[in-house]
Amino acid sequence: MESYGRRRFLSRVWRWTAGVVAAAGAWTTWDVLRPGRSASAGPVRTVSPEQVTQTGVLEISEMSGYLTRVDDEIVALWWRCPHLGCKVPWCESSSQFECPCHGSVFNRVGEYRRGPSPRGMDHYSTTTENGVIVVDTAAVSDGDPPGEESIDEPPTGPECLGSEAGS
Amino acid sequence: MSLSGRVRQSVVGRSIWRSGDVATDRDRATKHWSSFLLHLYPVKVRREELAFRYSWFLGVISLVLFASLFVSGMYLMFFYVPSPATAYGDIEYLQTEVAFGQFIRNVHRWSAHLMVLAVAAHMTRVFYRGAYKPPKEFNWVIGVFLLVLTLLMSFTGYLLPWDQLAYWAITVGSSMAAFAPWIGDQAQQALIAGDQVGSATLIRFYVLHVAVLPGLMVFLVMFHLWRWRKDSMLSQPEESEHG
Amino acid sequence: MADESPRIIGERRVLGVVPGRPPVGERKDPQVDDSVMVWPHLLVRHAVVAVAMLLVVLILSILFDAPLREIANPTETPNPEKAPWYFAGLQELLARFHPVVAGVLVPAGIVIGLVTLPYIDRNPAMAANRRKVAVATFTIFLVAWIALTVVGFAFRGPNWSWVWPWQEWHGEL
Repeated sequence: MESYGRRRFLSRVWRWTAGVVAAAGAWTTWDVLRPGRSASAGPVRTVSPEQVTQTGVLEISEMSGYLTRVDDEIVALWWRCPHLGCKVPWCESSSQFECPCHGSVFNRVGEYRRGPSPRGMDHYSTTTENGVIVVDTAAVSDGDPPGEESIDEPPTGPECLGSEAGS
Repeated sequence: MSLSGRVRQSVVGRSIWRSGDVATDRDRATKHWSSFLLHLYPVKVRREELAFRYSWFLGVISLVLFASLFVSGMYLMFFYVPSPATAYGDIEYLQTEVAFGQFIRNVHRWSAHLMVLAVAAHMTRVFYRGAYKPPKEFNWVIGVFLLVLTLLMSFTGYLLPWDQLAYWAITVGSSMAAFAPWIGDQAQQALIAGDQVGSATLIRFYVLHVAVLPGLMVFLVMFHLWRWRKDSMLSQPEESEHG
Repeated sequence: MADESPRIIGERRVLGVVPGRPPVGERKDPQVDDSVMVWPHLLVRHAVVAVAMLLVVLILSILFDAPLREIANPTETPNPEKAPWYFAGLQELLARFHPVVAGVLVPAGIVIGLVTLPYIDRNPAMAANRRKVAVATFTIFLVAWIALTVVGFAFRGPNWSWVWPWQEWHGEL
């Protein structure tokens, strides 16, 4: 019986060792492939708060997004559509964001209006240092789910999307 | 004796082609098994498999296109550095300066599109023939993995030219992964190595495209062919006594 | 092997024989050899198919150049923006349904459905008319998928709006 016990012990040992090695391999692979904080993301110095107006948006390509404001609050939007990642351009004629890929539409502060996007546009967090808005592109928070809009600004004119878009 | 016959009968020749004289089907079978290349094939198949309507030869067409992609891809690798600073220029250089560069890129591109078509059509034909039924269930499963691998190969290759077509197609395609429950964001970020498609994405897709996925593909294709060979003998067990 | 005299087989006397054939115990069932040697019959055909396929690739590559657009520009999304053609069906779904449905559930469902197909369909029949349910289901999915792919590939233009391919062409290979 003693040798039986030893055999069973050894066979268990090698199985467990193999399992541990496999788990370590999987963990290593995941950790290697998981992206770290990308080199380009981080604080971006932009413009002074006075340059950000309440009537339109300011495109800042260094932060991949737009600056606008509601009263005293600066809003920094990432230009990536939460639907499938296309860049959402600002439409001057209608004063709203309109995505050309699948026709998602957002208002001036990035809140959801219509289309297949599951939520409003994502935000960056901002601070003001020495009279300059600093946008942290590494700190992104999800846009609000579809619902009431916080600003009352209906489209000001014809949309940039075709009439059949967003079906 | 012909020259090739004399070479085969020489000391060196016999060390390479090891089969003896061929007179009966049994000798032919022996010769078949002893050949490295032929041993991927069964010795005999049912007569109906010869007809075009049986398989439309879609399996062998897929394999030929894979070989074409393998070879043309080797040529392309000589001229391509996977970095956003160089990738696009490398393709332009290849197309305008390298002899047959444009042609080889065309071969790679059209072979890739045709392979996706051929693999999908192969699967469809196998379904309608009912060839996924026992004992071939598992070979069908391998076939599904091969279809997925083919799509992944094509998708990872799509980014490499680093033009507008590539960049935004990969952006849209990889964004779908983010909607997977629980692990979506993590999976998408691991796929494109960051928040946005960039230089880390390019090198990642390149490695997948030229090393990881082709390696898996070769392994699975061999497995697929091996099962096909085994099953083609299984379906007619009495044949072996009639060689 | 004709046999005209009575014989004893297994201690039994054979009473009747069919002229021209051995008695029952010695008869062999007629066996149609339905198989052929792979070399040369199958391999020659494969070689012809391979050469023909390579010729097709060769001719396509001489006639049509692979597309190369402007260099990638993360600040500008082209309009329309199309995925590779084999994902055009998926993209068409994405424009209509929530991304969890179109981007996750449908593709996962297709792959899982295909993998489990031989374990779900246990009907041993091979002929199409004796497995109508399987054939009909598969055909419906196949036709729907081809239709979605064709629509997404050729019938969608700027802003993903409907276009007629003979008027405007936006397909990308």
